[in-house]
Amino acid sequence: MKLRLKRRLFGTYGVLFLVFVYAPIVMIVAFSFNSNPINMMVWSGFTFDWYWTIFGYPTQLNEQTLYVESTDQLLAAVMNSLIVAASTTTISTVLGTMTALALFRYRFRAQRFYQGLLYMPMVMPDIVLGIALLVFFVSIGMSLGLYSIIIGHCTFLISYVFVVVSARLAGMDNALEEASADLGASEWVTFRRVTLPHIAPGVVGGALLAFIISMDDLVITYFIAGVDSTTLPLFIYGMLRRGVKPQINAIATLMLLFTFIIASLGLYLRRRG
Amino acid sequence: MAVKRDRTRLAVLLGPVSLFLGICFIGPLVVMIIFSFLEPGLYGGVEWNFYHWNFGRILGWADGEWEDFDWVYAEIFGRSARLAFINVLITLAICYPAALWVRGLPRRWRMFVVFLITLPFFVSLVVRLFAWVLILRPTGFLNYGLVGLGVIEEPLDLIFTETAVLIGMAYVLLPFMFLPVYASVEKLDRSLVEVSSDLGASSFQTFCRVTVPLTLPGIAAGSVLVFIPSLGNFIVPDLLGGAKVLMIGNLIEQQFLSARNWPFGAALSVMMMAVMFLLILIYLRRIGRMQTRP
Amino acid sequence: MPDTGLPGSGSPVAEVLDAVKRFSAPEGGTVTALDEVSLEVSAGEFVTLLGPSGCGKTTLLRCISGFEDLDAGEVRIDGTPMTGVPAQHRPVNTVFQTYALFPHLRVEANVAYGLEVTGVPRRERTVRVAQALEQVGLQGLERRKPDQLSGGQRQRVALARAIINRPKLLLLDEPLSALDRNLRHSMQLELKTLQHELGICFLFVTHDQEEALTMSDRIVVLNHGRIEQIGSPEQLYHEPATSFVAEFIGDGALFTGTIEGDPDPALVTDDGLRLAIRDGVPAGRRMTMLLRPEQLDGAPAAPDSAFGILEATLEQSVFYGATRQLVCRLGNGAAITVTPSPGADGDRLYRAQLGDALRLAYRRAEPHLIEEARDGG
Repeated sequence: MKLRLKRRLFGTYGVLFLVFVYAPIVMIVAFSFNSNPINMMVWSGFTFDWYWTIFGYPTQLNEQTLYVESTDQLLAAVMNSLIVAASTTTISTVLGTMTALALFRYRFRAQRFYQGLLYMPMVMPDIVLGIALLVFFVSIGMSLGLYSIIIGHCTFLISYVFVVVSARLAGMDNALEEASADLGASEWVTFRRVTLPHIAPGVVGGALLAFIISMDDLVITYFIAGVDSTTLPLFIYGMLRRGVKPQINAIATLMLLFTFIIASLGLYLRRRG
Repeated sequence: MAVKRDRTRLAVLLGPVSLFLGICFIGPLVVMIIFSFLEPGLYGGVEWNFYHWNFGRILGWADGEWEDFDWVYAEIFGRSARLAFINVLITLAICYPAALWVRGLPRRWRMFVVFLITLPFFVSLVVRLFAWVLILRPTGFLNYGLVGLGVIEEPLDLIFTETAVLIGMAYVLLPFMFLPVYASVEKLDRSLVEVSSDLGASSFQTFCRVTVPLTLPGIAAGSVLVFIPSLGNFIVPDLLGGAKVLMIGNLIEQQFLSARNWPFGAALSVMMMAVMFLLILIYLRRIGRMQTRP
Repeated sequence: MPDTGLPGSGSPVAEVLDAVKRFSAPEGGTVTALDEVSLEVSAGEFVTLLGPSGCGKTTLLRCISGFEDLDAGEVRIDGTPMTGVPAQHRPVNTVFQTYALFPHLRVEANVAYGLEVTGVPRRERTVRVAQALEQVGLQGLERRKPDQLSGGQRQRVALARAIINRPKLLLLDEPLSALDRNLRHSMQLELKTLQHELGICFLFVTHDQEEALTMSDRIVVLNHGRIEQIGSPEQLYHEPATSFVAEFIGDGALFTGTIEGDPDPALVTDDGLRLAIRDGVPAGRRMTMLLRPEQLDGAPAAPDSAFGILEATLEQSVFYGATRQLVCRLGNGAAITVTPSPGADGDRLYRAQLGDALRLAYRRAEPHLIEEARDGG
């Protein structure tokens, strides 16, 4: 009897916990379809119009609200974010994977130093890294823009890829590569036919993780973005600071959708890997 | 894996990363530390003189020529530390029972539930905080609901309070506590709990004397992982705390973007980095030993 | 210095000459994993490396396969020195303890791997894969992935994969240790048969002395990186060269003492126990006597001088199915195990109750005597 009660108590708690985690997100999605332009809390009908307004299509809501952000700016921000995320993902995936291989495969004196160096950007408070990068770029006379954001993101995303790929390498039986060499494969063939297929889910997972984090990063980007290199999170942050607008719900919902698709892809790959 | 000693190949693998992190990660940190010892210029910018008052100023002593003794920065530091500490307690209180709950689920469900819990971590920070702005503001979800239900007559001041900042930080940093705590709870050998009750301990005794000590490494890791970003947060206090709940993060941001006192901002960042290193050092020394190395 | 075994017929397939391998220990200093080890494997032989864990047997295997380099000495295969030759160019293949099957490849691709990476054309590959799978009895499982196989099946895939390159020497690193007891026994027989069919040399590593005795033509006993003895299973069992071998292989009690000569040749232990031994052993030597359980029996009613007699107390009686073992305590406190033989003398032992005083006898010509090294090692 007592055991069952305990179980039920935990079950209730678990459901409440998930509600706490998801309610705010669900709320945004719900609001994004609410046609009431004055008060989001009052449901006045289902509409897609907020989605149309963010892409600049005229709707009846446009006239009722003064909240029209420039669509061009929004699309530019999305474009910037995609460029940054794609570049940083490529660079940090390559560098992170190389580092993981080097630290796993070789024994050398500076090994512990490198391990510490790679964990440091992940535990460093965002604001410290952001400030340091800002001071650095200004000191060397580099103008702030997409390049500075890409460099800034890579400094910590390499670490994320490194950790994910390392975990994959750690789960690999040493004997697999030896077996391959034993059967006559050269080092390159062993890498291509045995090591790479084995760590591939980790590399892809690390890349997806890097992509999402780069797309979403606000704090570091906040300090090192230039005037004309606003990314999507920065754009929304700017909107938010000027006041709550219903369009933000729609943009946020689209971002949620995007994030969930990539995260589910990651989960699917991990299951298969 | 056979350990290899081919130095050339090692250099090829590690060279690019060393170059990149050396210039673009260590470089900036060094420049920041140098800046923190420079004299602030009158109209923004810096004078290239050694100047230690940047750090003195944080604790209240300042260059007598310009300022009087002022506790305000130390107070902000204190508030940040206090809020960060409370946030650790809140996230722990929320996540520990949740971890126990997930562990009690059937095996095939566990991974999926963990995925569900960590999924919002991947959602943009702004989006997650925006949700809480919508909930907490005077015309927000919570006030609207409470007034509608007749619980209160006037909307409460929810947003722009310490409570709002704490709720926001807890929400944003939840996965940092949940994952390490869950990892250690999951690793906990169930038979140890059974042995304890078999030997006559009550559930509470078992919890205090077996479960908690054995999951301490996870609790410690989670605490460090939550404390550090809480301490340096500036987006959450900015959106949910307004001007009333100023934290170091906001202070630093101000030095760079409005006050234009870069050396002081750099000094604040260096202080925060020092706190972070201290915490990690303590963690590695005391708790890291208890865990088997990954 | 132990001899390197019987001179092989013709030139040996593999030779290890004065191999030395040191590792740096985690707590500082170095550990000598192989200490001047020499051995040879002749054509068609099944040789087993036997020893407790940490004795260097796996290290020796890895030095032969090329995963580790020797610090001194040499490995030769077919007379060619292998120093500096990487694993992929050595004409040996390995069956790994964990099998090390490529998890992302199907059974057929796993087996074909060695042919593929060495550039054997597809046609020939298909034929040889089918042949190898047939040899290990795995037809029909070509399309499975390793995680869809049982432990025994994985073992066979590992075996097929290792023999497909037709190595001069097949190295097997405790390949049966992950299998359960019954499967292990049948695999032992199968391995032996397969080795006969293929005609390749097997160098087999195990810590299980029973496994070594059943399968090998010759056994190399290693301890602390040194070879204790090389010999046939019979030699090792009946004439162990050192007390380590005597203790490691089979059951039995060891008594160390000084030899007393005629007229009553005996070994006298330091605590005064007197054991009759065969004639003709020079007096004054320090030696160790090995008494196997089956050499002991109940004493006949009137024993003659061909017997050695021991007084003992019955402490424990253990039933093993075909036999029963009695654990007895001697006057000096040493324990000794007896497997009584069927017959009048044995029956008397079987009827004894725990705590009874027993008279045990052995033919004094039978027990093996081991020369004790001067340094007491």
